[in-house]
Amino acid sequence: MDVEARKKALRFMFRQVVEPLGYKFTPDEDTADFCLGQEVRLEQKHGVPYCPCQGLTKDHKHNIRIICPCIPYHREHFDYMKMCWCGLYVHKDVTDPGRLRQIPYEEFLKRTGRKP
Amino acid sequence: MKRVSMYTLSTCPWCRKTKKFFKDRNIPFDFIDYDLAGEQEQEKISDDMMKYTGHISFPFVRIGDKVIIGYNPEQYDEALKQVA
Repeated sequence: MDVEARKKALRFMFRQVVEPLGYKFTPDEDTADFCLGQEVRLEQKHGVPYCPCQGLTKDHKHNIRIICPCIPYHREHFDYMKMCWCGLYVHKDVTDPGRLRQIPYEEFLKRTGRKP
Repeated sequence: MKRVSMYTLSTCPWCRKTKKFFKDRNIPFDFIDYDLAGEQEQEKISDDMMKYTGHISFPFVRIGDKVIIGYNPEQYDEALKQVA
């Protein structure tokens, strides 16, 4: 497996999905490259490029929700953070991703007055 | 037991940053990479995490009694003051 070629292919494929949602790859190239590299690793191990920052369980319904790009399953939460959980994608207007923080889902609900 | 313990993923960039945060400050910590753990240990970890969150999201850091989910250096500093 040519990892670099696969990373390029994932980039091309994922871009078609995230751009219409208002997201782009993080300008932080180190994070983007590292995440894509880990997703190629996960794809080799599990057959699917799962999110590198969320855990797999035995529950297939849970695991489906963390297949990259998983933005559609977490749309409001990630919109609030202006990035996805692993930071591979950020809102198109983000120029300094280093200032963004992971905000746990329950904290997001509390801050926005939503119910679980 | 060390004051700082965490659940992490070997694939997660934020988990790397979190480990670096404590290493850079010479603060000892325990960690378990969830994805490298066996099935039974993964179940124990996810059961523990589920007491605090519905999502198996990493990093999951415990400083004293305080649990911090996601990379958040400001909250790490705050929690470290409490256990100092």
